[in-house]
Amino acid sequence: MADDDDKGYRWETEYEKTWEELHEDESGSLKASIDDILHRAKKRLLTDRVTNVRLGMMRHLFIVVDGSSAMSDQDLKPTRLIATLKLLEFFVEEFFDQNPISQLGIIISRNKRAEVVTQLGGNPRRHVKALQTLSSQACQGEYSLQNSLELALSTLKHMPSHASREMLLIMGSLTTCDPGDVREVVKTVAKANIRCSVIGLSAEVRICKTLCQQTSGTYNVILEESHFKDLLNSHVTPAPASTTTDSSLIKMGFPHHGLGGDTEEKPSMCMCHLDSKTSEGFSTAGYFCPQCKSKYCELPIECKACGLTLVSAPHLARSYHHLFPPEPYKEFLTSDIILVGKVCCYACQIEILDPHVYVCEKCEQQFCLDCDLFAHETLHSCPGCASFRELQTVQATSLS
Amino acid sequence: METCCVVIINDKLCSSLLVIILDTNPIWWGKKRLSGEKLNLTHCVDSVAVLANSHLMLNHKNKLAVIAAHTDHSVFLYPRPPSEHTSPPKAPLDGQFEVFNQVENQLRSEIKKLIASDKQKLDEMFEPVELPSDSLVAGAMCKALCYIHRLGKECPIGETLTSRILIIKGSEDCPSQYMNFMNAVFTAQKQNIIIDACVLDADSGLLQQACDITGGTYLKIPQPLGLLQYLTWVFLPDFEMRSKMTLPPRAQVDYRAACFCHRNLIDIGYVCSVCLSIYCTFSPICSTCQTTFKILGPQKLMKKKKKI
Ligand SMILES: [Zn+2]
Ligand SMILES: [Zn+2]
Ligand SMILES: [Zn+2]
Ligand SMILES: [Zn+2]
Repeated sequence: MADDDDKGYRWETEYEKTWEELHEDESGSLKASIDDILHRAKKRLLTDRVTNVRLGMMRHLFIVVDGSSAMSDQDLKPTRLIATLKLLEFFVEEFFDQNPISQLGIIISRNKRAEVVTQLGGNPRRHVKALQTLSSQACQGEYSLQNSLELALSTLKHMPSHASREMLLIMGSLTTCDPGDVREVVKTVAKANIRCSVIGLSAEVRICKTLCQQTSGTYNVILEESHFKDLLNSHVTPAPASTTTDSSLIKMGFPHHGLGGDTEEKPSMCMCHLDSKTSEGFSTAGYFCPQCKSKYCELPIECKACGLTLVSAPHLARSYHHLFPPEPYKEFLTSDIILVGKVCCYACQIEILDPHVYVCEKCEQQFCLDCDLFAHETLHSCPGCASFRELQTVQATSLS
Repeated sequence: METCCVVIINDKLCSSLLVIILDTNPIWWGKKRLSGEKLNLTHCVDSVAVLANSHLMLNHKNKLAVIAAHTDHSVFLYPRPPSEHTSPPKAPLDGQFEVFNQVENQLRSEIKKLIASDKQKLDEMFEPVELPSDSLVAGAMCKALCYIHRLGKECPIGETLTSRILIIKGSEDCPSQYMNFMNAVFTAQKQNIIIDACVLDADSGLLQQACDITGGTYLKIPQPLGLLQYLTWVFLPDFEMRSKMTLPPRAQVDYRAACFCHRNLIDIGYVCSVCLSIYCTFSPICSTCQTTFKILGPQKLMKKKKKI
């Protein structure tokens, strides 16, 4: 346990472990130590809180997962593939939190081939689901760098030129099985302005180094799992080169969503499936561009007819908590707050038996430790501040 | 119809927590009364009590919370915080199950207290002040999520607790709560908590989005007097049951944004690339993050790029 302690971001696992211990031993003495660990973890969390988060917009990223037999290696627990997929689930959530109007896709490479798992899209749920189904599949055959690059290239080259095009390759294999000259493909990828980064799970591979150098991406090999998590997280924040240095006001459209219940409406083809041979995208439902009335079946997207960026309001709202986090609560001794009677948490109504209470300085309400952590880490709003009329106007104007 | 199936899910290891958020906005309910509407707050609270008791009846492990979203604060109607001295529940009248009686009585008495305190506040004012006609639903949602989080932690290992939130609302949306509201919605989405909405008056754009994002049911009831039927038919069954039922078709969701400058709903707007604030017209400086923008409009910039 002492080892884990030094790795700041694993406090949650640390807590769960101690909790299990409590179940083995029912004596009251353990409770104090858990409270202590919790308090330390909480303090660390508060100090570690990232202040200036850089948001990225309009990123297009393909993640290429190695599915070759090299990924069944057990140097990451339980296997390289399963560990990778688990970390990627967190990555996907984080990615959409910090890159609101962006799209992500997943490719897996095995059996000398590369296949698309999810197409580029802005729906985190779809990607997480796909990752979960992948984890039940076996690692097979050899990895193919060339096929992966070509597959991602075929989609990314159609993305608008002012938006960023990126690839993130997670590679456990030390070899690649390519049908042609992979160096030629690397040149094409570089020419298409696609930034490629590689996270190696075993050792440095020369072709990957060349790839990252030529496309101005980063190349790293992991030391152990928490380093792997760090490296992945570094790709959540947009690369300095891909962020436009000037801030600007971007014109955007917020389309209506028609569900097609109207019998008056005639079915039409959506712009995203124009090239497809199937009937997919042919219906009355869809999102309509407010400027030119073109129809799309998923947001966010850039209107192909008039160039307007189309988003839904929640796409933007998903990122607000990074920009306007609630103020940290102040810790007080419960005995200082109230002398007689019970202290109850304002949010969850629990009676606070802990010697500490946490108080929001804005709304002056008292909270339990669990609610303090929940409000700051998950909810990103103070339940007290959201519940008082006087604080509503204050909050709206003092956003900066 | 399919209600008989409800009994089958009476599994020892599964229980469900229903948090009902009731809009108790005195202005809206007062206006309803003046306009001669038959549905009044008492009627509504009675219907909610029936829904609450039916939920508790489905499984003896089921749990319940009712929160009032009022015009200037929000408060737990059930259960009451342990700090309060509660008199032992009176013996049930007509052989009613004790808990049911308790829920009903408590809801009624808490609502009475709420209205009495409003009246007192109004009496204390020197001159009549226009009370806001919207309710702080986001605050109640935050509390609901904290309560769900707490019960989730208290749930014994090996048992599962599924939670959902039902919002019964009549008053208009509160635009200054937008950020808190969306934070609550995304938290619910991440924690697989369904948000259902039963709207008594005009459509609510925010609630439509909340239901759509979390996979809940949005219903603007056509007949306010039939509230009880809608509550028990549409909102009593849990998520799994609903797929087997014929529910009203999903409504069209208004995904338009409200501009930060006037709170108007807009189709086309300008978004600050630094802080994502939304404006209805081009302005040279972002009032949220104080960033100054170039005089050259982004539209021209884009066109320029396209020509190259
Ligand atoms: Zn609490
Ligand atoms: Zn507060
Ligand atoms: Zn405006
Ligand atoms: Zn701004």
